[in-house]
Amino acid sequence: MSTTIARPPTRIARARVERLMWRAGFGAVPGDVDRLARAGMDVAVHELLFPRGPQLRKAPEPTVDGQPIDPVNVYGHDVLWWLDRMVRGRHQLVERMTLNWHDHFATSNEKVSDARLMQQQYFTIRSRSVGSFRKLAQAILRDHAMQRFLDLDNSDKDDPNENFAREFLELFTLGVNNGYTEQDIREAARALTGFTFNYDAKAFGYDSERHDDGVKKILGKTGRFTPNDVVNLAINHPKHAPYLCKKLWGYFTPRPCPPGTLKKMVAAYKTSGTQIRPVLQIILTHPALLADLGEPDQVKPPVVYVAGMLRKTNQVVTTDSWTWMLDNMGQRPFYPPNVSGWEQDEAWLTTASVRARYEAASQAVRAMEIKDGTIAKKQTPAQALSAALRMTGKPWTSAQSRAALSRYARTSVADKTADWQEEHYWPERLRVLCHMLLAGPDAQVS
Amino acid sequence: MNRNCGCDDWRVSRRALLGAAADNLVGIPEALLADGPAAALTGSRGITRKRMLVGAGGLAFAVAAMPRFGAKGLFEAAAAQAAEDPNGRILVSIYLDGGNDGLNTLVPIGDPRYRQLRTRIGIDPATTLAVAGHPEFGWHPSLTGLKTLFDAGKVAVMPAVDYANPDQSHFNSQIFWRTGVVGQTFDRSGWLGRTIDLLGGTDNPLQAISMGWNLDPILQSRQAPVATVFDPGGFGFSIPDVWSDEAALGPYRGATSGARSKARKAAQQAFRGAIGVFDQLAPLRAQGDKVPPTPIAYPDEHLGNGLRNLARMLGAGFGTRLATISHGGFDTHDQQPVEHAQLLKTLGDSLVAWQADLDARNLSDRVMTLVWSEFGRRAEDNDSNGTDHGAGGCVLLVGNHANGGIQSEFPGLTNLDPDGNLLVTTEFRNLYATLLESWMGVEAGRVLPGVDARRLALIK
Repeated sequence: MSTTIARPPTRIARARVERLMWRAGFGAVPGDVDRLARAGMDVAVHELLFPRGPQLRKAPEPTVDGQPIDPVNVYGHDVLWWLDRMVRGRHQLVERMTLNWHDHFATSNEKVSDARLMQQQYFTIRSRSVGSFRKLAQAILRDHAMQRFLDLDNSDKDDPNENFAREFLELFTLGVNNGYTEQDIREAARALTGFTFNYDAKAFGYDSERHDDGVKKILGKTGRFTPNDVVNLAINHPKHAPYLCKKLWGYFTPRPCPPGTLKKMVAAYKTSGTQIRPVLQIILTHPALLADLGEPDQVKPPVVYVAGMLRKTNQVVTTDSWTWMLDNMGQRPFYPPNVSGWEQDEAWLTTASVRARYEAASQAVRAMEIKDGTIAKKQTPAQALSAALRMTGKPWTSAQSRAALSRYARTSVADKTADWQEEHYWPERLRVLCHMLLAGPDAQVS
Repeated sequence: MNRNCGCDDWRVSRRALLGAAADNLVGIPEALLADGPAAALTGSRGITRKRMLVGAGGLAFAVAAMPRFGAKGLFEAAAAQAAEDPNGRILVSIYLDGGNDGLNTLVPIGDPRYRQLRTRIGIDPATTLAVAGHPEFGWHPSLTGLKTLFDAGKVAVMPAVDYANPDQSHFNSQIFWRTGVVGQTFDRSGWLGRTIDLLGGTDNPLQAISMGWNLDPILQSRQAPVATVFDPGGFGFSIPDVWSDEAALGPYRGATSGARSKARKAAQQAFRGAIGVFDQLAPLRAQGDKVPPTPIAYPDEHLGNGLRNLARMLGAGFGTRLATISHGGFDTHDQQPVEHAQLLKTLGDSLVAWQADLDARNLSDRVMTLVWSEFGRRAEDNDSNGTDHGAGGCVLLVGNHANGGIQSEFPGLTNLDPDGNLLVTTEFRNLYATLLESWMGVEAGRVLPGVDARRLALIK
């Protein structure tokens, strides 16, 4: 073992870590980029897949107006609570996969109307987010928020509700019109009857009297199937593994999944007994993920963008504005637009949502507290830009943005020579530089 | 949005993009839209089609000289001209979110079944407002504003518009009405989005305005930029302690081109669009709080304020051809009488103020306003003093050139569909097709795949 002082990592090594951490998490915190760039991608991927230690970075805790957030009782704080877990989360892939599964098993509090049930669902998913998909799906079947959302509660043998059965086959396990029929949905709905919910007592249960214990024919198999059987029948269906693996791939890269890679993922998924981790390992180590580092090709989902911005600037949640800002950006966690989740990729970006993203950076810059009178007039344009880069976690910037930033750094203060102007405009320059590094077109992609 | 409705069917939809393709998914052929004017503006051949039309002084030449456009190109050539025309016609959509109760809007007081079906929330015929020329109907008592417009011959009413075998889920019906496609489709674009793809240019988001904070799915286009603005005076860019919007945009202006990846291009395009809108709105922003009064005050609510803001933008001449706004709260499962009366009052009063405002701005000959909802409500009222999801919505078309009167068949309440809903006499796609061809000058089939040839007498 040598004891030489660590050399600064190469630019390409840093770029790889940045890409990986934006796709598999919410952006690397500034110190982690250099550390992981030195350690290498194998270590970085391993840390993501097998995280250890506490789930959250300790201090400082999130607040609103100096008070702790209250996700259950205060409107909008549910969103802040989750955002905070993304920001302070140390198990980044687990947090990101929890978000991905929330998109996959999309459940909205708009209907559930109970922040506690939504929080429980978060933990139900989180604890299984990189483990067995079969166990995850079985847990989702029993998850109370989901049962409320898709009317599985109180679906009774005399009047089976098809909502859950339909979405379970169509979205959760097989894909639209991919290997099942309307008849399968009806029969699965029968097998899924028996769950109960007493609204007044807020009590969930299962009543075998209400379960249809007759013979059903589902996906080509016949038997007295129970709710769990529906999960297993769908997961054992030959169309399931390719559907799920392909969907997982899509969360990490917009590039098409090569057929050979899909085969590998499906094999890993099957031989491991529906384990998610081996599939993720294939994705996270695939060259497609790191392709074209100089031209990012995935639009950051709004929560990834916001959480990442806070991580890069060493901030935590300190305002409830994030809730409506995320809504305006088109992604409010716990409130997906419908059961098929959010439209991803370029659909995130419109003239309206991009303004909301701009506004989010204004909030972040405000919290950076760059005060008037704190920047010496001798700061050169180049120094101003490096200071801004440092303060924003050295984000990737295109050559064109660099040029625009440099030009602005030169011209914005050129004619501001009076003392009072120096007091204000030097810090103003830094605010604007930081802002564009956080919110410019380059910052919207990874 | 109106999702907290106690009904559980609004969800669904990226589903169409997720699974395997299937026969029952309706695709809108890419080729149908590929060579609209928006594409032609940046076309090859050295001379653009747009310049050719302008330079040669007209449509006739274009068609004669370039037979490859054929008869099918006629509509779009006309449309391309209209896009440059400061007097181009404008279509505004007002969406009554949640499913408006058409039977309590245009009340069929002459139908004896009405009183039997609406024992709890039926409107007393004596309180309804007379519908000129139609003693069998009465307007809801709070529609005084709408009545004046109707009496002036500026409102075409269609009492039972929907589609065959109507789906009573908000979600499905909304999707169908928004996309203009009945059935699942892979295509996310809205019917007005595809319209602006054909009519609009490539660099003016204000050509189609979604009045709100999120893009209205109806205006989701494939390539033409569209704008989302609610308050033109409040559309700005600010950073705390940065003393002007212009400074706050400083370096942004220099960083909106040069991308290669689809994602970066989308980010740059979004910024370009947003900054472009900001620049265009400068004259309205400059008015600050000194907004000129309107002939009739708008109701101080979302719809009233939105229409007032829209009139200001139309008046400023940004080349706007389409605009959409929602008026929410129509999912009246319970306590309908009070809520519905308020909603209709806001609607009627807003429309009156809107028409007067357009008159004063000399715009009323160019603007047509479509008022629609995803469905009507169940003919029979429910135990909670409300109504459940039904079919056959009541559509209104308002404008100087609307063919005033009742313009589609009311099927009566004696024969209802198997779910107890009003029978559908008019397909909404035929309504759309009429507006596209008779008002906007776009060949309907290019926006609404497979639409049949039926058209309605809605424009005069």
